[in-house]
Amino acid sequence: MSFERPALKAVLSLALVLASAPAWAHTGSVAGGFFGGLAHPVFGIDHVVAMVAVGLWGAFLGAPAIWLLPIVFPLVMACGGVLGILGVPIPAVETGIATSAVVLGLMVALAARPPLWVAAVLVGAFAIFHGHAHGAELPAGADAVAYSAGFVIATGLLHLCGIAFGTLAAWPAGRLAVRTAGGAIALAGVAFLALQ
Amino acid sequence: MSLARAAVVAALALTATPALAHDVVPGVGGFYGGLLHPLLIPAHLLALAGIGLFLGQQQRPMSVGLLAVFTASLVIGVIAIVSAVSPMYQGEVVLGVAAVAGLLVALARPIRALLSLPLITIAGIAIMLDSVPDDMSMQRTFLALVGTVIAAFILATLIAEATRALAHDWQRIGVRILGSWIAASAILVLAVRLAR
Repeated sequence: MSFERPALKAVLSLALVLASAPAWAHTGSVAGGFFGGLAHPVFGIDHVVAMVAVGLWGAFLGAPAIWLLPIVFPLVMACGGVLGILGVPIPAVETGIATSAVVLGLMVALAARPPLWVAAVLVGAFAIFHGHAHGAELPAGADAVAYSAGFVIATGLLHLCGIAFGTLAAWPAGRLAVRTAGGAIALAGVAFLALQ
Repeated sequence: MSLARAAVVAALALTATPALAHDVVPGVGGFYGGLLHPLLIPAHLLALAGIGLFLGQQQRPMSVGLLAVFTASLVIGVIAIVSAVSPMYQGEVVLGVAAVAGLLVALARPIRALLSLPLITIAGIAIMLDSVPDDMSMQRTFLALVGTVIAAFILATLIAEATRALAHDWQRIGVRILGSWIAASAILVLAVRLAR
């Protein structure tokens, strides 16, 4: 067997080139994309505590904040996500995320009751940092729709966890527990800031 | 067989690809493939969920009228495909519809029927134009499209009726939160599409 002949080399080269798999840009499965998105916010502890804090604060403030904040957050987060996906830089994203835990945790711990629009603007401002981080980290191979739906739902469910815990504030002992949780979230935020 | 011939045969064998017919579920094409299409394509599911929730928030006469317009627009989409209209950006339009419908659901403000008509009409046509099966005979393509029309109609109707049946305030708030999730997911995916 000889590989000296140019024609044979060309044919073999062609065979190898043609046999190589194409590099699809859209390789992710729907299920994989969805569960990847669902897991994404849960495995970032800085995201988790901030999401829970939004729910806690909403529950603490009562209606309409209890439902307005979880509506505002994903919508503004999506705008931040668009900036991240398009590569528009936002300075100090990680600092912003850590600060969100500090500020939102403090709001709960101090039982702060600002006007609704102030709470919405504050939560919305922090949502931009969270969205930017999510958008910038969106894996290229994932099914984009399923992944995005997954992580938006996970974010919403984390809010619901906060709201569920925050409803304990209806009782004096529960109120103390909720404020303590807010303090713990603020301390966690300080730790995130210190670790940067 | 000479080595050169063997190499050519190997090249042809290795480059042979499976005959994919754009079946959502492998092996399920035609009418049943069309039926499954809106259920298994996340972008279509998002858009139909958004439209269904939006219709469910409206008063019954307006909702029924808009549902009729939606069904008519699905049929117009089929006619456009059969007339060999070659659309562009229909996937992005479907996501845009999901984003707008989700926002309207989150806002939950009364909207005049005339203002809703463009959204509903574009939704139906874009969903159908984005549901064209590849590599199928004319008959199978038509059957698949009929299946998609039926599935899209049933899905939107079921979601609308389920939404209308929600009597409690917290359930209506849940619908608005769902709307914000749909809008956020669609906005993010639109950004991904633009970035790529």
